[in-house]
Amino acid sequence: MSVAAGLRQILPEPTQQSFDEDVSVTHKERTSALVATRKEPPPYGARAGYVPRTVADFGDGGAFPEIHVAQFPLGMGKPKSKKSNALAVHLDQDGNVKYDALVKQGHGDSRIVHSKFSDLVPKEILDESDSSLQKPDQEKLDENTQRTRDALEKICNDKISASMPGQCAKKQAPAQYIRYTPSEQGQGYAGGAKQRIIRMVEVQVDPMEPPRFRTNKKIPRGPPSPPAPVMHSPTRKITQKEQLEWRIPPAISNWKNPKGYTIPLDKRLAADGRGLQSTHINENFAKLSEALYIADRKAREAVEMRSQVEKKIANKEKEGKETELRELAKAARAKRSGLAKSPKKEDDEEVRERDEIRKQRHEQRKREHNIARAAPGKQKELRSLEDRDISEQVALGLPAKKSGGDALFDQRLFGTSKGMDTGFDHGNDEAYNIYDKPWRSETTLSNHLYRPPKNRDLDTYGDDIEEIAKQKRFVPDKGFDGADPSAPRGSGPVQFEQDIFGVDELLADVKRGSKRGTDREDKDSKRRR
Amino acid sequence: MIFRMSAEVEQMPVTKHGVHTLCFRSLKRTHDTFISDHGCMPEADKDKQEEKMKIAQRKAPVMPKPKWHAPWKLYRVISGHIGWVRCVDFEPGNEWFVTGSNDRCIKIWDSASGKLKLTLTGHISEVRGVKVSTRHPYIFSCGQDHTVKCWDMEYNRVIRHYHGHLSSVYGLDLHPTIDVLVSVGRDACGRVWDMRTKANVMTLTGHTNTVAAVRCQAAEPQVITSSHDTTVRLWDLAAGKTHCTLTNHKKSVRALALHPKQYTFASAAPDNIKQWKFPDGNFIQNVSGHNSILNALAINSDGVMVSGADNGTMQWFDWRTGYNFQRYQAPVQPGSLDSESGIFALAFDKSESRLISCEGDKTIKLYKEDAEATEETNPILWKPEVARRKRF
Repeated sequence: MSVAAGLRQILPEPTQQSFDEDVSVTHKERTSALVATRKEPPPYGARAGYVPRTVADFGDGGAFPEIHVAQFPLGMGKPKSKKSNALAVHLDQDGNVKYDALVKQGHGDSRIVHSKFSDLVPKEILDESDSSLQKPDQEKLDENTQRTRDALEKICNDKISASMPGQCAKKQAPAQYIRYTPSEQGQGYAGGAKQRIIRMVEVQVDPMEPPRFRTNKKIPRGPPSPPAPVMHSPTRKITQKEQLEWRIPPAISNWKNPKGYTIPLDKRLAADGRGLQSTHINENFAKLSEALYIADRKAREAVEMRSQVEKKIANKEKEGKETELRELAKAARAKRSGLAKSPKKEDDEEVRERDEIRKQRHEQRKREHNIARAAPGKQKELRSLEDRDISEQVALGLPAKKSGGDALFDQRLFGTSKGMDTGFDHGNDEAYNIYDKPWRSETTLSNHLYRPPKNRDLDTYGDDIEEIAKQKRFVPDKGFDGADPSAPRGSGPVQFEQDIFGVDELLADVKRGSKRGTDREDKDSKRRR
Repeated sequence: MIFRMSAEVEQMPVTKHGVHTLCFRSLKRTHDTFISDHGCMPEADKDKQEEKMKIAQRKAPVMPKPKWHAPWKLYRVISGHIGWVRCVDFEPGNEWFVTGSNDRCIKIWDSASGKLKLTLTGHISEVRGVKVSTRHPYIFSCGQDHTVKCWDMEYNRVIRHYHGHLSSVYGLDLHPTIDVLVSVGRDACGRVWDMRTKANVMTLTGHTNTVAAVRCQAAEPQVITSSHDTTVRLWDLAAGKTHCTLTNHKKSVRALALHPKQYTFASAAPDNIKQWKFPDGNFIQNVSGHNSILNALAINSDGVMVSGADNGTMQWFDWRTGYNFQRYQAPVQPGSLDSESGIFALAFDKSESRLISCEGDKTIKLYKEDAEATEETNPILWKPEVARRKRF
C-alpha cells in the first residue's frame, strides 16, 4: 500500500479516469437514504442558468416563464418522437435475455405464455408421488374457493343491484380518522405542524339517483389480447393428389335456379352420380333382339318366295288364257277370212296397223311392268303429280315443288333468329305452343298462287273504302213531297187525290174523241144541273 | 525474395472456387494441423469426461414398464333413445345415471338393471350436455336450442332457465365447491352463471371458434375450455381472464378430461391426445394412436384413459406411459347401419368400475373389466420408443 501511494505521488496525474470497484461500492453506501428525495428546481430568484430538460426537472409544477427556453412539463407539447414499438431488453436471473417479453407484451405478470422449445418436448412421469403432480391440499382449495366466491358474489351483486329498484339510503360507515406524519424530505411536507389528522368519510349515495352514465352506446370491440405462440410445427403441405381428392364441385340444384343461370347440360348432371353407377345390361336382351331379327328375316324370305311362286302361277295362267284367246281369235279370223276373201293389201294394212297397236300396247305394258318392279311407288307419283288439275292440287294441299333434290334441307331451319330461351315459356306449362305455324304452309301450292286480297283497293281509296262502297248513288238527297218510297204502301190500290185542274176530264174527253160534243155536254150538263 | 514471389504470383492466373470449396478446404487444413500432432495432445480434463459419460448414459434412459390393466368388455346394451345419445352423467350415489340425446329427451336409467326410470322433456332441440349436481337435487342440461335448464329432481320439472347464450350450447360443467355453473357453446364464449339468481356473472371470451368442452375444478385454474380453434384455455375464474393458452394441438380439441387423483388433465384432438400438468399447463406427453376425430375422453383413478371416436372406435390407454392396451369397436345394434357408429360421450361411474359409452346408433353401451383376464392372457406388447426429439 505504501509503495502504491508513493508511486501515485511520483507519477503524473492519469489522463483517463479508471473505474475502480471499491470506489463505486462506497458511493452506493453513502447515498442510501430512508426516504427518496426528489430533485427540486431552485427557488424563485435563484434560477439563473437553470434549464429544465427532463420531466423530473420541473418538480411538481409547470413551466418557468422567466426561463426563455422551450419547456415541456409532463412531456406535454413535445413534438412527437418517432414511435417505435421496440421493447427494452431485459435479462433474467441467469443473465439470459428475456426474449419472451415479446410474447408477453400486453399481458399481466401473472399470465403464463409458453414459448420455449422445452414446452414442446415430452417429459416422462417417473415419480407419480411427486408433489408437483398432487392436487393442492384441502386448505388451499378452500381458501381459493372463498376468494373466488367473494369475487363472483361481488360481480353478481353489482349486476343484480342494477336491476333491483333503489331502497332507502344505506347508512354510511362512521367517519374514520387517520393520523398522518409527513416526512421532512418527502413530498407531502409543508412547513408547520408535524402531524396531521385526516377525517375520511364515504360519499353519500343518492338511492333515487338513476345511473349516471350511458351504457347503451355501441362502440367497436377493442383489439384482442396478443395471440399465443403456436406450439406445433406448421401443417404439412398437401400434395396435388390429395387436393384433387378433396375437391368439391359447385352445387348445382336440379330444382332451384334463382338467378336463372344457363348452365351446360354436362355441368347440370355432374353431381348426379352417373359415373359411380355402372349399369349392367343382361345379355339375354341382345339374344332376344337377334332372334327376333333372324325370325323376321326368315319370315320375309318365306313370304317373298311364296309371292314369287304365286306370281309364276298367275303368269302361267294368264299366258295360258292369252294363248287360248289367241287361238279363238285366230279361229274366228280364219272363219271370217274363209267367208270373204278381202284384198290382201287392205288386210295387210289393217293387220299391220293392228300389229303396230298391239306392239305399242305390249311395249307400254312392259314398261309399266318394269317400272312397277323397280320403283313401285314412283309410278303412282308420276301419275299423280302430272295428271292432276291445279285446282285439285291446291285442294289436296300438295307441295309446290317436288320434294327431294340434291340437298335435302328443311327450309324451316333457315332464317330463324330465336334466342336462348326458345322452348322455355317461363314456366307456363299449360300453353300448347309446340308448333307455332302450320307444317307445310310455305310449300303448299296455295301459297304460291296469287289470290287478290279482299281489300285490294285500300291504297287507292284509303280507309273510307267501306263508306264509299256503301254509298247509294241513285238515291236523291231530297225526295218529292208525298212521294215517299220508304213509306209502306199498304195493301190496297193506289189512292188518288182530288182532281183540281180537271185533268181527268180532259183526258176522258180526249179518250172519247166524238164530233158531237154537245149532246154529251147537254147530257152531262143536264145531269150536272 | 518476397518481392519476386509476389511478382510470380501476379503472373499466374487465379482460379476462382466456390464458397463451399473454400470453406471445406480451410476446415480440412485446420483439422490436419491438429490431427497430425498426435505426439503432443492436450491433457484430458477429468471432470468434463465424467460429465460426458453421464450425458451418454442419460441418452438411453430406463423406461418403466406400463402398468397392466384388465381389458374391458361389453356386458350390456341399453336402447331406448330414438336419437343419438349425446351426453351422460352419474348421480353421486351411483344409483342412476342420466343421458341426453338428439331426440330432445333426457332419460334417467337405473344403473343396476339398465331399466328406464324417467323421461324428461322440455328441450326443443338436441340435448348436448347433462350434469347432476353433487350438492343439490338438481340436474342441469344444455342444448342446441340456446338454453341451459335446471331441473329439480324432487318435482321432476324445470325450475330455472339461464338465458344468454347466442347459439347452441355444447357443454356444461358445475363447479364442485361454488354454486356456479359454466356453459360453453358455438358463440365462442363460456358463460359463468350464478345458480340461484340465474345471472350471467361472467363471460369468458377469448376463443375464436366454437368451444367444444369445459371442465371445472376446485384447484387453480378453475375452468378449462377447449375449442375448435385448436386451443385449450385455462381460466382464472376470479378475474374472468385467461390464465394460459395451450396451442399445441393442430386440430379442433373436442374433449377434455381431468385426472381424478393427479393434478393433470388430458385434451383430445384428431392428431393426438396430450397430457398436461396443472396449474400452468405444462406439456407432459403425447398419447398417440387413435387417429380419428375424438369426441370423448374419460380417465379412471387406476390410470386407465379411454378415448371414443366419431367412427365408433374406442381405445384404452395406460395413463402414465400412454400405452394403448386395448382397442374395440362395438357392433351397431341390429337395425342400424354400420356407418351410424360413433361415440359421443364416455363416463366412468362413481365406483370407476363401469364405463358407459353413448353412441350414434342410439344405444348406451356398458363395459366392465374382464375378471378372467390376466397378465399372461393379455400381455403387454410394449416397445419403448427411443428418446428422440420429436417434432410437433
